[in-house]
Amino acid sequence: MTPLLQINNLKASVEDMAILKGVDLTVNAGEVHAIMGPNGSGKSTLAAVLAGREDYEVEDGTVLYRGEDLLELEVDERAREGVFLAFQYPVELPGVSMMNFLKQAVNSIREHRGQEPLNAAGLLKLTREKAALVNLDPSLKKRSVNEGFSGGEKKRNEIFQLAMLEPTLAILDETDSGLDIDALRTVADGVNSLRSPDRGFVVITHYQRLLDYIVPDFVHVMVDGRIVKSGGKELALDLEEKGYDWIREENGAVPA
Amino acid sequence: MNTDTQYLHDVADSDYEHGWVTEIEADTIPKGLNEGIIRLISSKKDEPEWLLAWRLRAFRHWQSLAAETDKYPRWAHLDYPDIDYQDISYYSAPSSKPKYESLDEVDPELLRTFERLGIPLEEQKRLTGVAVDAVIDSVSVGTTFKEELARQGIIFCSFSEAVEHHPELVKKYMGSVVPYTDNFYAALNSAVFSDGSFCYIPKGVRCPMELSTYFRINEAGTGQFERTLIVADEGSYVSYLEGCTAPQRDENQLHAAVVEIIAHKDAEVKYSTIQNWYPGNAEGKGGVFNFVTKRGICDGDRSKISWTQLETGSSITWKYPSVILKGNDSIGEFYSVAFTKGRQQADTGTKMIHIGNNTSSTIISKGISAGRSNNSYRGLVKVNKGAKNARNFSQCDSMLLGDRCGAHTFPYLEINNPTAQVEHEATTSKVGEDQIFYCNQRGISEQDAIKLIVSGFCQEILAMLPMEFAVEARKLLAIELEGSVG
Amino acid sequence: MPAALIDKDTRLEDRFVSAFEMQEGLSLNGSNDGLRRLRKEAIGHFATLGFPARKTEAWKYTNIGKLLKRPYALTFGPSDDSVSASDVEALLIPDLEAHVAVFVNGHFNAALSRLDDLPEGVVVTGLAEAAETHTALLDAHLARYADSEGEVFTALNTAFTKDGAFVYVPRNAVVEKPVQLINLMTTAEDALVQPRNLIVAEENAQVRLIQSSRATTEVKTFVNAVSEVFVGDHAHVDRYEIQDEGTTTSMVTTLNVYQQASSVFRNSTFTFGGEVIRNNITVLPDAEQCETHLYGLFLADGTMHVDNHTLVDHAMPNCFSNEFYKGILDGRATGIFNGKVLVRQDAQQTNAYQSNKSIVLTDTASMYAKPELEIYADDVKCSHGATTGQLDEEAIFYLRTRGLTLQRARALMLVSFARAVLDNVTLEPLQEALDAMVTARFSD
Repeated sequence: MTPLLQINNLKASVEDMAILKGVDLTVNAGEVHAIMGPNGSGKSTLAAVLAGREDYEVEDGTVLYRGEDLLELEVDERAREGVFLAFQYPVELPGVSMMNFLKQAVNSIREHRGQEPLNAAGLLKLTREKAALVNLDPSLKKRSVNEGFSGGEKKRNEIFQLAMLEPTLAILDETDSGLDIDALRTVADGVNSLRSPDRGFVVITHYQRLLDYIVPDFVHVMVDGRIVKSGGKELALDLEEKGYDWIREENGAVPA
Repeated sequence: MNTDTQYLHDVADSDYEHGWVTEIEADTIPKGLNEGIIRLISSKKDEPEWLLAWRLRAFRHWQSLAAETDKYPRWAHLDYPDIDYQDISYYSAPSSKPKYESLDEVDPELLRTFERLGIPLEEQKRLTGVAVDAVIDSVSVGTTFKEELARQGIIFCSFSEAVEHHPELVKKYMGSVVPYTDNFYAALNSAVFSDGSFCYIPKGVRCPMELSTYFRINEAGTGQFERTLIVADEGSYVSYLEGCTAPQRDENQLHAAVVEIIAHKDAEVKYSTIQNWYPGNAEGKGGVFNFVTKRGICDGDRSKISWTQLETGSSITWKYPSVILKGNDSIGEFYSVAFTKGRQQADTGTKMIHIGNNTSSTIISKGISAGRSNNSYRGLVKVNKGAKNARNFSQCDSMLLGDRCGAHTFPYLEINNPTAQVEHEATTSKVGEDQIFYCNQRGISEQDAIKLIVSGFCQEILAMLPMEFAVEARKLLAIELEGSVG
Repeated sequence: MPAALIDKDTRLEDRFVSAFEMQEGLSLNGSNDGLRRLRKEAIGHFATLGFPARKTEAWKYTNIGKLLKRPYALTFGPSDDSVSASDVEALLIPDLEAHVAVFVNGHFNAALSRLDDLPEGVVVTGLAEAAETHTALLDAHLARYADSEGEVFTALNTAFTKDGAFVYVPRNAVVEKPVQLINLMTTAEDALVQPRNLIVAEENAQVRLIQSSRATTEVKTFVNAVSEVFVGDHAHVDRYEIQDEGTTTSMVTTLNVYQQASSVFRNSTFTFGGEVIRNNITVLPDAEQCETHLYGLFLADGTMHVDNHTLVDHAMPNCFSNEFYKGILDGRATGIFNGKVLVRQDAQQTNAYQSNKSIVLTDTASMYAKPELEIYADDVKCSHGATTGQLDEEAIFYLRTRGLTLQRARALMLVSFARAVLDNVTLEPLQEALDAMVTARFSD
């Protein structure tokens, strides 16, 4: 079976500074992969490159998404093909109502899949159903996208959109940052309910705690732009206990 | 060229939708401006002597201003050639009949004109909940729902009819808010104005429907000079809408209108405009010069006047809908979206003059510039010495689409009383890369993302428009933004 | 030698032109050719420009013509010897070690100055002397940044340029102690004084300047000062101006600043007294990565009139500017703030901020604010804000419930309001001195 995502020797830079120095990663449908690593190791860069952020220059390597070259696609084409990025810092869109935004996003993707666009009633129904998954206050739908949302609301809004857009590959970029334990549980419950045999997850996090709630199939450790160690969920516990330095030392890198 | 700039380029060059001309025979007087012309206009309209005398006084005043070039208003951030006032025809009307008793007498071609503009005048197709006065070139061609309104004592008719049937009201209020000495264009309008709308809401009446005037310039080589006078008597309410378009022509056409609003004690007037005069082509050829004086007075205590405008048309816009807050506890509001593209230039804003006690004003202005256009906000907040507890909040936000356009903010705050609280804020930004990226990541294309973000930027203003108008406004803005991209 | 009493009947501008013609052969003689040529051009521009009419937009709220009609004497002579060290002493900042240059009626007075320990290569002297000793520097910088073609007061000043302050900080030099420039006005009759200052900070140089002036007599004085500042690559110039004149002194000050790449210029203007004060500041950051800060505080009472005009002309990308002006208007005073940020088409990535906050204390005081943004580049972050209001009654009530008298409560609020500007003064003794001046103003 073709893997959902296949990254080979990916190298990328920002303003001539090399950040990713040869990443290899394969994600199959139905799997949850956690990527952990110290600050500055390149985790968020990987997410940004997969989503197609322009500031990042891919120097070498390939990324195949369902066997096709992902890097060839524009940002919105990737999204319509089913790649979803939950942002670490969701941007505010002043004046743009959540409903209008969702309508455009959902129907762009439906159109791409050859489905009829949803009408207002259909959209409202879907919204209600999905908002419940992450316990999102229904009144938020009336507000502008992310404007005036608390940190927790923004993160829940990302998972809510994940549910609305039903992607094939979901990348969660430090979704746990800034969340208290209750909010973390809510978000994790939302994500867990969205796990399915034909959907893959890449969960990027600095801390092991998130992985108590979103239990990964694989854990990868990223240091200095490379995945230096991979294992099962117990690897996350080792990291929690020992920190990242032992990995660094193991790999001959200079400890921070 | 990347998609972003290509798209902005298209936005900047997009076509004007209402550029067609109706083939109707018109009675157009010769070009030129002198006392003879003023008398001719007045006689064509069968006007009473007092009105002719007023026009002549205005004309003489205008002449004295025109004689001294330094009296031309040149302070605006606008660049345009001097206008040859002798090369304009000051009166043009569809020639079939100067006045219409009923719509049956109206040239069907004319009715089709308004229908094409989305303003059906015929009985069976009337817009529900909106009474329309349609003005083509210089003359009102039909007013709908007149009888229904009359039952409540509301007068809604063309200015000419008001002169004929309600001379006492016209005499009392005309020029009381914008005297002909006010400025160059107000003087010109007072001398040559052809028609316009008149509206009187009696004491305690809440006007049951939106009143609307639709203006269209059709003839070439003419100017349009209409006057609108709205009087809201004690405790009354009216919402008034104004729309305008013009054919696409290579020459510049002059539009110099005057709007006066009087709000008595406890009265409220809401005035909304969608200004979509022909803006000229992408190179700046042709287009309407829009020099408009709009002012309302909150004469009585607790009265309120609110201006809402969506400005997308005209090659030059010079317009400052203002409120004189004379009554105690009176309220003035100005909500504006001005979108310029191509070579358009807009210098628009408001004046809020606080005179009474406890008066408050709110100004929210959103300017969007694209192409090679220039978009300026110019506003005055003045608190007079005796005005206790005046409050003002102003917010002027500009958005630039492209790097060949300009966005400017020129607020004037004149505070002469210590109890005033005046706040002005302004920002200038562009559509953020990160905002577009976020939308892209949700599958929304770049163009749709820009439309979404720009509409969001204007949302709070568009929400102020009456519902029927808001739909039209959103559509218009979307078309303006869409450009020639399919 | 005071001279050239201006005759009352001719056109105001012509009086100055004929005074120029008279003086050119006399008092204005003796300096270098370059200067003479500049003056000659400038008087031509002056005659063409004429004084601002009532309708001139830039002078909308200040009727300067009224003041100019007074028959001022133009002073050209050498420094007045009657000034004593104690007159200078009064203007020194307590506890501040500084290099002090003293000017009398705009003319450098070496005897009263204390400039003996300037760092190697640094020059602080009079412009007249510099015209002889530093001709090349004057040729390179004088009248290069101030606009005699467009600004009438600059043209007038240039036409009569004789003396003023000259500060030169060569490449890599750092002047540790601030330089205080003191101008004393001692004329016995109503006089027009026109100092011309030139500050040149070359690449990577650093200097802090404090400019202050004071009239020692009760006659009417009109100061038309022009200062030009050149800030080279990576150079830092901090400039403070203290305007604490009596009600017989009026001033038009014009400051033109030219910034090269990665330079930092900070200016603070403190206005405490005067009859009519008009300050024009124009900054041109003419290369990338420049940083510009303009601060202002004006406290006006009586019939005082303070008019602050600023223009930051962003022509190059990646620059930052910040403007912060506060004013308190009491009595029958008038305050004006007209700040303009211009962002030209190539000035992408400009960050420009502007804020003006004012308090109007009485029915008879007025505040006019005109904060302007004129923007032609699309990738910028610009904002401005202006507020005018009164003291927060709630806060005063709160303070009174804590036992403060109304007067104390008001003073506390006003001093705190002003202190937000003083916080940006990095020279501690100066900050303390200004704080004391503000506190004294409100504490009786």
